[in-house]
Amino acid sequence: MRKVILMVLAIMLVMSTAVFSGGQQENGVDKYALMMSHMTNSFTITLSNAVKAAAEDLGVELVVFDGGQDVSKQISQVESAINQGYAGILIEPASVDGIKPAVTAASKAGIPIVTINQKITNQELADAFVGVEHVEGGEIEMKYVVEAIGGKGKIAFLLGPLGSDGQIGRTTGYYNILEDYPDIEVVYEQSANWRTDEALKLAENWLQTGVELVAIVANNDGMAMGALKAVEDAKMLDKIKIFGVDATDDALAAVAEGRLSATVSQSTEAQALAAMDALVKLANGEDVPSEIIVGHTLITKENVADFQ
Amino acid sequence: MKKLNNIMNVQLMRELGIVIVFVVILAILMILSPNAFARPANLMNIFKQASINGILAMGMMFVIISGGIDLSVGSIVALTGVVAASFAHPGEYPLIVPIILALVIGLFIGWFNGVGIAYGNIPPFIVTLGTMTMIRGVALIVSKGAPVFGVTDAFENIAGAFLFDTIPLLVVYFIVITIVSAYILTKAVFGRRVYAIGGNEISAAFSGIKVEKIRIMVYMISGLFAGFAGLLLASRTVSGIPTAGQSYELDAIAAVIIGGVSMSGGSGRWYGTVIGALLIAVIGNGLDILNVSSHYQLVIKGAIIIVAVLLDVKSKERTA
Amino acid sequence: MVSVPILEMKNINKSFSSVKVLNDVQLSIQPGEVHALMGENGAGKSTLMNILMGVHSADSGEIYLDGAKIVNSNPKEAMAKGISMIHQELNPVLDMDVSENIFLGREIKKGTSGILSIVNKKQMRHETQKLFDAVGIDIQPSALMRDLSVAQSQLVEIIKAISISARIIIMDEPTSAITEKEVDILFEQIRKLRESGVAIIYISHKMEEIFSIADSITVLRDGQFVSSDNASNLNKDKLIKLMVGRELTEIFPKTEAEIGEVVMEVNNYSFKPKVRNVNFNLRRGEILGIAGLVGAGRSELVEALFGVHKSAEGSLFINGQDVKIRQTGDAIKNKIALITEDRKQTGLNLIASIEDNITIVSLDKLFPRGVINRHKEDEVVDKSIVKFGVKAASKKNKVQSLSGGNQQKVVIAKWLLTDPQIIIMDEPTRGIDVGAKRDIYLLIGELVKAGKSVLMISSEIQEVMGVADRILVMAEGRITGELERKDFSQEKIMHYASQFNRGKEDEETE
Repeated sequence: MRKVILMVLAIMLVMSTAVFSGGQQENGVDKYALMMSHMTNSFTITLSNAVKAAAEDLGVELVVFDGGQDVSKQISQVESAINQGYAGILIEPASVDGIKPAVTAASKAGIPIVTINQKITNQELADAFVGVEHVEGGEIEMKYVVEAIGGKGKIAFLLGPLGSDGQIGRTTGYYNILEDYPDIEVVYEQSANWRTDEALKLAENWLQTGVELVAIVANNDGMAMGALKAVEDAKMLDKIKIFGVDATDDALAAVAEGRLSATVSQSTEAQALAAMDALVKLANGEDVPSEIIVGHTLITKENVADFQ
Repeated sequence: MKKLNNIMNVQLMRELGIVIVFVVILAILMILSPNAFARPANLMNIFKQASINGILAMGMMFVIISGGIDLSVGSIVALTGVVAASFAHPGEYPLIVPIILALVIGLFIGWFNGVGIAYGNIPPFIVTLGTMTMIRGVALIVSKGAPVFGVTDAFENIAGAFLFDTIPLLVVYFIVITIVSAYILTKAVFGRRVYAIGGNEISAAFSGIKVEKIRIMVYMISGLFAGFAGLLLASRTVSGIPTAGQSYELDAIAAVIIGGVSMSGGSGRWYGTVIGALLIAVIGNGLDILNVSSHYQLVIKGAIIIVAVLLDVKSKERTA
Repeated sequence: MVSVPILEMKNINKSFSSVKVLNDVQLSIQPGEVHALMGENGAGKSTLMNILMGVHSADSGEIYLDGAKIVNSNPKEAMAKGISMIHQELNPVLDMDVSENIFLGREIKKGTSGILSIVNKKQMRHETQKLFDAVGIDIQPSALMRDLSVAQSQLVEIIKAISISARIIIMDEPTSAITEKEVDILFEQIRKLRESGVAIIYISHKMEEIFSIADSITVLRDGQFVSSDNASNLNKDKLIKLMVGRELTEIFPKTEAEIGEVVMEVNNYSFKPKVRNVNFNLRRGEILGIAGLVGAGRSELVEALFGVHKSAEGSLFINGQDVKIRQTGDAIKNKIALITEDRKQTGLNLIASIEDNITIVSLDKLFPRGVINRHKEDEVVDKSIVKFGVKAASKKNKVQSLSGGNQQKVVIAKWLLTDPQIIIMDEPTRGIDVGAKRDIYLLIGELVKAGKSVLMISSEIQEVMGVADRILVMAEGRITGELERKDFSQEKIMHYASQFNRGKEDEETE
């Protein structure tokens, strides 16, 4: 038994040195790591594909890691990346607080680290942040809502998981705009946890109350699609308009068909390009601003063709 | 004689207990919201919202009565939903293809669970925890992580259409599956054997019952119903979502337990499960209408499960 | 002989959900005596002991230890006062070894005390071995409880009570599952304990044991105190009369039935290592007893014949036909029934109704189309309940609400509903009271009169001698002797049952 364990340890040692030696440079090309919080929805998949494309454009190599929505897994991924001598790390954090040890380790090792899409609590430890201001996204969405419903009426919010960055930012954006419109009343404000089926049930139940809604405003497109289904089933699409954020493929199709009033793009490609560019610059010793904000884009029936 | 009468009364009370809880909650909500909650249209809406969980709970009921548990149903819902939606794009396959695929996949995963449990001698919790994780992964692989949309109207109508323009088909499916389940459980020799292996597996084996065979069939029923539920959810949300169905297994287990089926197996009635599923939907609907935050809803749902099980334990203490 | 009693229980009353189970019961125990507590099942013996141990609390009444009033609110308190109970239903920690069970809750520690101390397994095993050696028990202290037989676990439990130097030890049916040899060991221990001033409260149904060990006897009936007397003032008949309230002239009624042709022939049956090359046959109308010590492989033999063990080998002829029995269903099809020893484990589904239990084996026969007809099922079950005298308010009640004797009747009803030709009974009267035992003996008589054959395992030599037409004796998985009724004697059976070497010789000459 002891012999077997020793052999396994020996093999592991040999393999790990092989991994270490195959570090930073391969064929003279710098190697970068992208740490995704998870790979289970349209947004994260679109984002990682866009970063890959950006890396290719910049002529560097990129390896994508899936954190599986588990911050401890993401931390160990970052730690191994540091040991394996990556030139820089781009991270879409699984947790805004919990990721701190990984970022600290990277900065101690002198490896540039850039956060993308989501700011972390100790953002000063990272070299840069590239992303959108969720507040701005919410403001763009709500501005269009106000316009579409003529500045008055009863509306409902479908929120992401309470306390999540996107939920807080976008909802703050909604209220920033609504300050100027006293005739708009928010009658419902509930979380459907980004999920289509939960949003569907919630919207069905709202429609049962007989309250005359003119709009349902969702923190993301998944929930907007659920609300859309409920409203269509109740044959009330002529009375209630639906709005989302993310510009997912199914939402874009629904906008094109005129069923979903609007969605807001987080400009995923632009985020990816800016982030990859900043990371490569940092690795080459150049300076970049500590915050690079990419703008949102409103997508309605008029301009939807450009995004499909 | 007196003692036996007493036991009868306790059992009766226990079966009535959940009905009383249900009626009381219904009454409270009707008083709090006479114009919205109590409307017939909303009551039908509740029935509809209870259907998918109710169908999963019916399958779960067989598993729990047999002394097991099936954690994989939520993932089966996701996988069968994604696969069904993938085969439901306009102009590709006839409608029967996604339907059959969803049912067959569910049945197969159930068979796999059953074989692992019956012949591999691995605890049901472990086997189905494994398949739960695996199948979720497969659903993400098949869909490349993104929702599958763009399905035919016919596919949307599987769950979305109405019978006689009034009763949602979802409700019809729930009723049909309930009738079939109740029949199997109370009238079929098979159902009696499910109770027997859940009550005492060893004595069942000594009584000539092929325990392994019954076990596999029980998980196949659960898998089949989960496959059907996945098809219905995909039809209802007009897309196959790989992350759908998360924690659906817990809602199904909750419905079964609230309905008085003992976690240790061997006892429980079908109508308890129906009431359990309806109760969960009533609470969700009522609290949504009263605009109670979904986070408080979780607290209330959890409290009701504990109270239901407490009733179960107390009644057993008294009959013992 | 009237000294201060070590223990007195006065005017104890107890009701469970309005049913009175103890009514002004009293019990007085002298130091250094073995005091038998007798009564049929349901007489209130176990409840009285549970009150003494603090498992239940009495509705009224007092308990005095050495003349001082005590209150036990849980078994731990009782044990701290030197009162220990060995239960009929053992609850060992199956995944621990023997020594760990003996020292459970008072483990021998290494080094400092406190949460950081480490259990000294070696020392515990050593101490356990010393205890076993002193008593003459052959069990490995390092063996897992799971791997022990019922008898062995019972012995471990007894040693455990002795080892905590209890002053009063309650033994609830301590010999129900152990062999005569082990009984001797136990009694030797009890006598030693008595000499050292320990009082034993001894609960048993076995008359011979009571009269050989008990100094005084208290009898309860239906929750009432009946009498308390010196054992020397009583005899078996008087005692039975006190217990059941009526005369039982004959304990083993023997019905004469006509014994016919061979119905079952067993050739070279093995289920290694428990059963080795067993050969015998069973005739129509015959009661064939299987005697032997616990662990002789008797239960394993009948289980193998019944298809419980897939790895069993050998050939079996039923009515001259070679049959293959691979699973229990095959045995049932060949009209064999196995009424197992352990009702709760293998015999019944306790949480199901009486009705569901009775029909479970016969469902295929009653409803070949797989659909249950309630009306027909009710009819069949009603008949069975009347026929076997199951006492219950409703057939829909759970079996667990029945007494041991009634549960046994349900098991018998369940198996006889299959209309078997060969009925195997493994310890059919274990743990049931005198009246119910008699009913079972009468039933066995009726079965053979109707041309059926009975194969009965029994560890009570008196019983097997009283009931059987022929006795096979087993030791170490082999049949070591066969006796016709005219040759029955306790000495011969014991002689064959302890023939441990003959088996090995057989193997060598094979």
